[in-house]
Amino acid sequence: MSAAPSPPPATGKAPVLPYWLPDFCSLPVLFAVMVVAELLALVILIAPSDESRPLLPRLTTASVFVQWLALVCAVCLCKLRPQLAKLTPLLGVMTAYALMLLVTVLGSALVFGIDQQLNLGLTLPAQFQARFIWRSAALCALIGAALLRYFYVLEQWRARVGAEAKARFEALQARIRPHFLFNSMNTIASLIPLRPQDAERAVENLSDLFRAALGNDTARSTLGEELDLVQRYLDIEKLRLGERLRVDLDVADLPGDLPMPPLLLQPLVENAVYHGIQQLPAGGTVEIRGRRLDGAIEIVIRNPRPPAGARAAGRHGMALANTRSRIEYHFGRHGALEVVAGADDFICTVRLPDAKGEEALASR
Amino acid sequence: MNTKVLIVDDEPLARERLAGLLRECVNVEIAGEAGNGREAVEAVARLAPDVVLLDIRMPLMDGLEAARHIAGFDNPPAVIFCTAYDEHALAAFEAHALDYLVKPIRRERLQAALERARRFGAPQLAQMQSAGTVPHRSHLCARVRGNLVLVAVADIQYLLAEDKYVVVHHAGGEVLVEEALRALETEFAERFVRIHRNCLVARERLSGLTRSADGRIFAQLNGVTATLEVSRRNLPGLRKLVRSL
Repeated sequence: MSAAPSPPPATGKAPVLPYWLPDFCSLPVLFAVMVVAELLALVILIAPSDESRPLLPRLTTASVFVQWLALVCAVCLCKLRPQLAKLTPLLGVMTAYALMLLVTVLGSALVFGIDQQLNLGLTLPAQFQARFIWRSAALCALIGAALLRYFYVLEQWRARVGAEAKARFEALQARIRPHFLFNSMNTIASLIPLRPQDAERAVENLSDLFRAALGNDTARSTLGEELDLVQRYLDIEKLRLGERLRVDLDVADLPGDLPMPPLLLQPLVENAVYHGIQQLPAGGTVEIRGRRLDGAIEIVIRNPRPPAGARAAGRHGMALANTRSRIEYHFGRHGALEVVAGADDFICTVRLPDAKGEEALASR
Repeated sequence: MNTKVLIVDDEPLARERLAGLLRECVNVEIAGEAGNGREAVEAVARLAPDVVLLDIRMPLMDGLEAARHIAGFDNPPAVIFCTAYDEHALAAFEAHALDYLVKPIRRERLQAALERARRFGAPQLAQMQSAGTVPHRSHLCARVRGNLVLVAVADIQYLLAEDKYVVVHHAGGEVLVEEALRALETEFAERFVRIHRNCLVARERLSGLTRSADGRIFAQLNGVTATLEVSRRNLPGLRKLVRSL
């Protein structure tokens, strides 16, 4: 099993993955099963014994026997996979394991019986029936456990690599909303002849936003800097949307020096403008309120939104899913993003551990 | 003769910039401005411009739908879409060979597009209506004594077919539209359900079914007093729907 590619740290609780059991009908998996079975046959052959028959016939019988059992197991697992997938991972693995043992016990009993009837002398003398079955089952138990673990780790690794690549791509997309860039450029182009000073400020604000967006995810920021960024963003949008965008900001209570990953709040505010204010002919007010809780801070972003019939279809979920996974990554279960989509408003609540909470988190 | 141009954008600064650019173009006259698709359709009916510069993302009614309504007019103006960035929308224009400009718009590009519109008018727009680039409209367009009336689909209570018209009953009254009931049923399948050969009702307003003394079944709608008969054929489906409410 040395081929297992960089397995993730073995943890007690199995993460919920739909495909913890591989597809035993697929050729690569089937091939792996057969290779392992053949290795097992070789091990049986090499192990010291008082067997007097020549090597090649012994290898042949052992191979046929082991391959046959392995393939029956694979077919059973393949056919039962939809049923097994409905179980919890732990229960599913146990069931699959028990199934393999059962197949081996029945299979070796059958083979032993046939061997005795035909008197071929390929297994053991008649009085050792229990020993033969018991040994087969024990071998299956050891190799089966290793094999299931190997496939589980492999699937998990694949799923993780896939999820990471997807998350990276989505993060890249969510950070730079092309609409925002080009609309801002258009705003600046309009402002240059009319109000050059506003145009200058807009360029500065836009630069700050892009500097943050183009930085990497591991860079640290503070809550104060993040709120500044939100303010810069809103300044740009105010130029663009005019009186339609009103802002009610109340964050004086928040600790400005609290460290946090950059661009955690701005995408949520951008969502509020993009899906809320911009869709309303008369505009509306984005409310941003922060308060301290015990060991945590809470920031609530609320925006009005158009009635269901007049709502433009959009990818509302992406910025939310992205922010949620980043909060989860950086703060674990101490951080949270809650979303309440009402009939005429949309509320995002972000909860993060404060300095005290961070210490608790670090000393875990 | 000057080309009359209508500017449509929900952002005041974007309108201002376009107006500024248009003032630098020759033989161009600004007919007016509108802040969303609905205002745009009304303004086209009122001002009869030659060219409409139409933003795509706008509240209430987007540019694609507005273009579709405008295309239904007699003598429609040429439509030039202006967009910040929209892959899907751009793909739609390209498929229909409509002109579009990307923001921030260059004066030379604007000039060239206006030139082309002056020469070729708006023949391509008719295709767009049939090709269905817009999944479904947010408004229906009707004429009452020569005046344009836009009815929000969300306000419609029920649709009744009469001869070759459909009577649209909505919160604020009733209007005639020259459309087929069947086409409306297909376009707004999620919104309306058929209760009779000649009648579609808004699903969300459906409150129940009643049986009259002579055994006929009627649908009841919230906020509607009219009696709407349910045909035998549509009854089973409707029963299921009412039960699931």
